[in-house]
Amino acid sequence: MIPRTRKTLALTAIAAIVVIAAVAIWWYNTIPTAERGLTLLKTKSIIIFGIVSGGTFALLALGFTLIYGVAGVVNMAHGSFFMLGAYIFYVFTSPKYLEVNIFLAFFIAIILTGVIGATVYRLTIHPVIEELTSLLVITVGVALVFERLMIIEFGPFHYPIPGFVGGYETILGVKVTYTRLLAFSVSLVLFAALWMFISKSKMGRAMRAAAQDLEAAKLMGVNTGRLFMLTMALSSILAATAGILITASTSGIAMPFMWLRPLVLSFAIVILGGLGSIKGTFIGSFIIGFVDNIVVFLIPEGSYLGGAAAMAIMVAVLLVRPKGLFGKRIELEE
Amino acid sequence: MATTYLRRAYSSFAVHILDIPPRLLAFLMFLLVLSLPVTKPTEHILLLLIQASIMAIFACSWDLLVGRTGQISLGHALFFGLGAYITALLWFHYDLPVWVTIPISVLIVTGLAPLIGFPCLRVKGPYLALVSMALPIIVVSLISYFRDYTQGERGIAGLPGFFPSLPYGQRFVAEYFLTLFLLLVSSVILYRIANSRTGIVFVSILDDELASKACGINITKYKLMAFTISGLFAALAGAVSAHLLASGRSVTTASLDANLSFMVVIVAIFGGIGTMYGPIIAAYILQLIDQYVLVKIWNVPSEYHMLLFIIVIIILVLKWPRGVAKFVTDELDDLQEEREIEERGKHIWKRYRRKKRSPTPEA
Repeated sequence: MIPRTRKTLALTAIAAIVVIAAVAIWWYNTIPTAERGLTLLKTKSIIIFGIVSGGTFALLALGFTLIYGVAGVVNMAHGSFFMLGAYIFYVFTSPKYLEVNIFLAFFIAIILTGVIGATVYRLTIHPVIEELTSLLVITVGVALVFERLMIIEFGPFHYPIPGFVGGYETILGVKVTYTRLLAFSVSLVLFAALWMFISKSKMGRAMRAAAQDLEAAKLMGVNTGRLFMLTMALSSILAATAGILITASTSGIAMPFMWLRPLVLSFAIVILGGLGSIKGTFIGSFIIGFVDNIVVFLIPEGSYLGGAAAMAIMVAVLLVRPKGLFGKRIELEE
Repeated sequence: MATTYLRRAYSSFAVHILDIPPRLLAFLMFLLVLSLPVTKPTEHILLLLIQASIMAIFACSWDLLVGRTGQISLGHALFFGLGAYITALLWFHYDLPVWVTIPISVLIVTGLAPLIGFPCLRVKGPYLALVSMALPIIVVSLISYFRDYTQGERGIAGLPGFFPSLPYGQRFVAEYFLTLFLLLVSSVILYRIANSRTGIVFVSILDDELASKACGINITKYKLMAFTISGLFAALAGAVSAHLLASGRSVTTASLDANLSFMVVIVAIFGGIGTMYGPIIAAYILQLIDQYVLVKIWNVPSEYHMLLFIIVIIILVLKWPRGVAKFVTDELDDLQEEREIEERGKHIWKRYRRKKRSPTPEA
């Protein structure tokens, strides 16, 4: 059955959860008692890490969906802002360059990335905003330019990104570092703040207007050029925040090729949820977070398959709903 | 009886194959590149031109899918890499010769192309671009995961070359002619397809999908056809390049890399999307600028020349969004129109001015 409406979709989701739970209980009863402890730990790890990484992925994908939803820009350079955030943060925390307070460095990094994002929008994206192919090529070009600049300036080496706080917390027997928890909570707070900003503030109203009908928004006196530039700045600030927090809490290194994986992850999340839908992004990021952790924990050497599983889920969802879970259904004419 | 068939074959050759618009120009350019080995170029230059020919086949196949059918694909390296990997695996596990593995791998990828195109059928625009970009990443992960069978990230090295009996220096010349021949055949076939009835249907899908559906065109069939034809030639380019000296006769996951997919987009955009001949010229020009002019003549350090190159591409795309070749042909059309006006009198000139001033919406 192909779910066409939101109601059938919800019913299908509930049915799927019930079936999965039944299978899980049956499977748990079949395994021998001696191995139950390990299986339980694995399940707990999947649940906790799924929630935590889902929350941080949400921050990553939010900027991507924001600029698409408001301006219709598919920003392939989103991963580059992720990378730039991590690199600028490295420059302001390492004793080799400028060492400042770690929180000050964080704010400097995100604001600088925001300025760079706005500049990139003005110089390259704004002139071709109407044409999808040119837009894709230009943003890919910008991403490659940033990669090259990082190789020229820093070389193809790995640089350490310091965590904000040391130590870890044990939740249900699973160790989660404080940096990871910080990333998760900052992500949730920013998500809520952005939601409030979009639904309550004047600029948020302008954003929603531009997303609904660009021409009408222009006629009502919205300065769309300026609005899009500010949205781009906001989007790159979110990307930089995600870059610093995710890099500090997972691998802990910055390198020039680090832009592709977050870009691909944000594709998977955003397409899964529907391009331009913030609710969809939130749900999509948790789905991808869980899928990533299930593959890593349950399949031997599964870390090789992490990206592939996310992509496969994305393609499977698109086969059923071509505009994602919460995207608009296909109209007769685009 | 035989003469009738011969005459028919000749006339179809004359009508269908020789009918390339600036026929003489294309022929002269072909003669030029054909006679290049007479001047005894260095191996470096031959290597560049071999790579440029492979890139040209690849870019041409992308142009049929994107420029003519409008199915924006940012992961075209999928077909290229699959072609390269299948021929390499056939050699690695079954020890088959080159002339068997390449056709088999091209056939396998051609068979797979409709299956790959199937998820791409349901999605449009930005969704399609992102989905097509995701597919090679899935394949790369699978290759890393099944690394007992595929050698993982190390790739497969030491593939057999094309002309093992020739001395080393002459192999470059032989491979140069081989790739040139393949480029000629595939570009003529792609050009003919693009300008046949099927090609017109492809363009109608690009222009207005709904209208062509309303005209009774089976859109699914034609989209899958575009994917299959495009995949065939991309796989050919990939399979041949795996065995060339220019690629070190090895296959790695770099042949599925996002950078390669972006490179083909850049080449096609530079040459003009939808022209079919633009990407060929652009592949040669860009390859020569990238690897020869910047390296040998201007002595730009190797870290910088890729950067300069991408910046130039960005500026070109910003200045002429429809591609350099389209820009030149538009200018030529304008010139011809003006000459016509000079010949035929002033009243046309007035009409022409009026037409120019009033902004007519372009499709």
